[in-house]
Amino acid sequence: MWRLCRNYFYMKIDSLDPRIARANLDSNSQEGELQAMGHFQTYEVFEQKKRGTHHMHVGSVHAPNAELAMLFAKEQYTRRGQCVNIWVVQTSDILVTQYEDADMFENTPSKLHRDPNSYKVMDRIQAYKERQKNKA
Amino acid sequence: MEFTDKHVMGLKDLLYRMADDLLILGHRNSEWTGLGPILEEDIAFSSMAQDKIGQSLALYEILHELGESEPDTVAFTRNAAQFHSCHLVELPIGEYDFSLVRHFFFDHQSALRMDMLVETVVEPLQMVARKFRGEIKYHTMHADLWLKQLANGTEEAKIRMQHSINETFPYALGMFENSLYETELIESGIFPGEAHLKETWLQVVTDKLNAYGYSLPDIDQVIPVNGGRIGLHTEYLQPLLDEMTEVFSIDPSADW
Amino acid sequence: MYGNAYIENNGQENKLTANEDPQKLAAFEARIAAGDKIEPRDWMPAEYRKQLVRMIEQHAHSEIIGSLPEGTWITRAPGFRRKLALMAKVQDEVGHAQLLYSAAETLGKSREDMLNDLINGKSKYSNVFNYPAVTWADSAVIAWLIDAGAIVNQLANSKGSYGPYVRALDRICAEESFHLKYGHDNVVFLATGTPKQREMVQEALNRWWEPIMHFFGPSDKMSVHTEVLMRWKVKMGTNDEMRQTFLDMYVPKIWDLGLTLPDADLKKNEATGKWEYTEPNWEVFKQVINGNGPCNKERLAVRRMAEEKGRWVRKALLQKDAAYVAPLS
Repeated sequence: MWRLCRNYFYMKIDSLDPRIARANLDSNSQEGELQAMGHFQTYEVFEQKKRGTHHMHVGSVHAPNAELAMLFAKEQYTRRGQCVNIWVVQTSDILVTQYEDADMFENTPSKLHRDPNSYKVMDRIQAYKERQKNKA
Repeated sequence: MEFTDKHVMGLKDLLYRMADDLLILGHRNSEWTGLGPILEEDIAFSSMAQDKIGQSLALYEILHELGESEPDTVAFTRNAAQFHSCHLVELPIGEYDFSLVRHFFFDHQSALRMDMLVETVVEPLQMVARKFRGEIKYHTMHADLWLKQLANGTEEAKIRMQHSINETFPYALGMFENSLYETELIESGIFPGEAHLKETWLQVVTDKLNAYGYSLPDIDQVIPVNGGRIGLHTEYLQPLLDEMTEVFSIDPSADW
Repeated sequence: MYGNAYIENNGQENKLTANEDPQKLAAFEARIAAGDKIEPRDWMPAEYRKQLVRMIEQHAHSEIIGSLPEGTWITRAPGFRRKLALMAKVQDEVGHAQLLYSAAETLGKSREDMLNDLINGKSKYSNVFNYPAVTWADSAVIAWLIDAGAIVNQLANSKGSYGPYVRALDRICAEESFHLKYGHDNVVFLATGTPKQREMVQEALNRWWEPIMHFFGPSDKMSVHTEVLMRWKVKMGTNDEMRQTFLDMYVPKIWDLGLTLPDADLKKNEATGKWEYTEPNWEVFKQVINGNGPCNKERLAVRRMAEEKGRWVRKALLQKDAAYVAPLS
């Protein structure tokens, strides 16, 4: 099927897919460019698999607001496996550290007072018992 | 209470109308897969379509226990005149405003029907109703949120949605077409009847639509689109069934 | 589901690392060599970012376009079991596209830009989806063998260096596990069914064998050098290596069903352990990838239609003061 209009030819797509055949698509169409933000901002999604466990980050969704983000997150991230609860947070609300600053998370050796392995008293107990024995 | 033949016929009729509605609507909604307006919404809508088909299968299985053929045979070999689905579900998917409005009207009916069937004396049906409550909760939540959000969006969205509500309402009323067995279903405790369901549904959808800023046509001015429950359908159902059964009918006795 | 990213540099290796701070580059490469992952806010060479965006974006496009040939058969799937499974599978593909667009976005390209590049033909996707699924059996062959090919690639790439892509692939691989089973199950039923079913699946296999052989990209002797991309764990294996893995895993299974493949020279050389085959026609491959395949125009027209028809919906929801921030990971 041809229709001439200026320099533009319409050519119907005869698809093997009945849904597409019904849609009377034009293979020469130039329509359909997306505008910026056409797919909205992002929300980060956190899922809790079982009561008693932490919510874990599983990914993000694009949505215009938190309620739709929640609706979308439910299907995109929990349609398999267990889940009892989800949180969504707008990505722009999340404060992040820089990887260059990962050194501030390192534990320096001088903090032995917090290391349970630095508490050794067996020798001390032994020595005390020896002294008591010798007194007697 | 002892079930008479008429009670059993009433139960089967109820199961057929529910299962056929769910199968046809699930099938229609699956036509949106890969073509939705937002990637995430595409995924959500496809999930709900699957749920509906899964629910229809569970109901055809009860029918099978009552002596009807196997679900694949029942679903894939009947022609339009043998289907008990309402006209609402067989209409083409149209644009997203129509599909969302259909989803809103149908899913609230389905949720309320299942809620009532949680109390039914028919144990297998009671179990199915309980089992599907959770997933249907998401379906109505989804419909409500979309209707609400689009009412507060652009002028174009509001006009489209209101127009779809006006055009779809008569078809929606066709969901509640009385069966020949209303008395039997009510007296036996199988189901409280289409009239009661319609009344409850009307209250729910009126309150919600008004709250979101839409209007509902005056029910006294509207003629319900009936006929589906007794096998009288639009010109859309047979082509839908032809498509749905195209591969199956290459050889219905084959294992696919 | 996807095929290998089509690497487009012209083979000048030093071009990939020119102009990069040598100290930063050394630290970056040491991290990768140690098996550590690169995260979105890490320093990275410009070429690393560019190649990854292209690769992940192509993968995402392949998923969304890939949903179309199989989607052809959703409304006609025979019986409840197949209907439900195919609906779930195609939905998964759309879900995978979502995960992959998000991963690519962490590198700085917005989803809108990626989708626009898809519909105006600038970005590529796996060639194999430019062919039509002519019969139900075609959809079965795609679900088994194309998914199998994709899984070979995905498993390899899940050991790559970029955190967000690796995490997306882990999730995808978990969901894909039923796709392969479904595809194989489907082909087995057809191959062991009635004569008509058997004929349908054999014909589908004959039709799809060349696209499947093209799936992993041009043979190594024709390809550009990719040592740097291998060192950066962007490319995890050569095209031929992937193809060999696939043939080794699946040709025996195909023959086991008594099905034949349209290549008389296809056989495993027991001495070398390598599969020998008729060299696929790479001219045809080039033609199709550049827009002249049977379905290229249709695929893009469908995506355009989906975006256009959905525009009023998205417009209705857009907040005026919304600002874009790339996803975190």
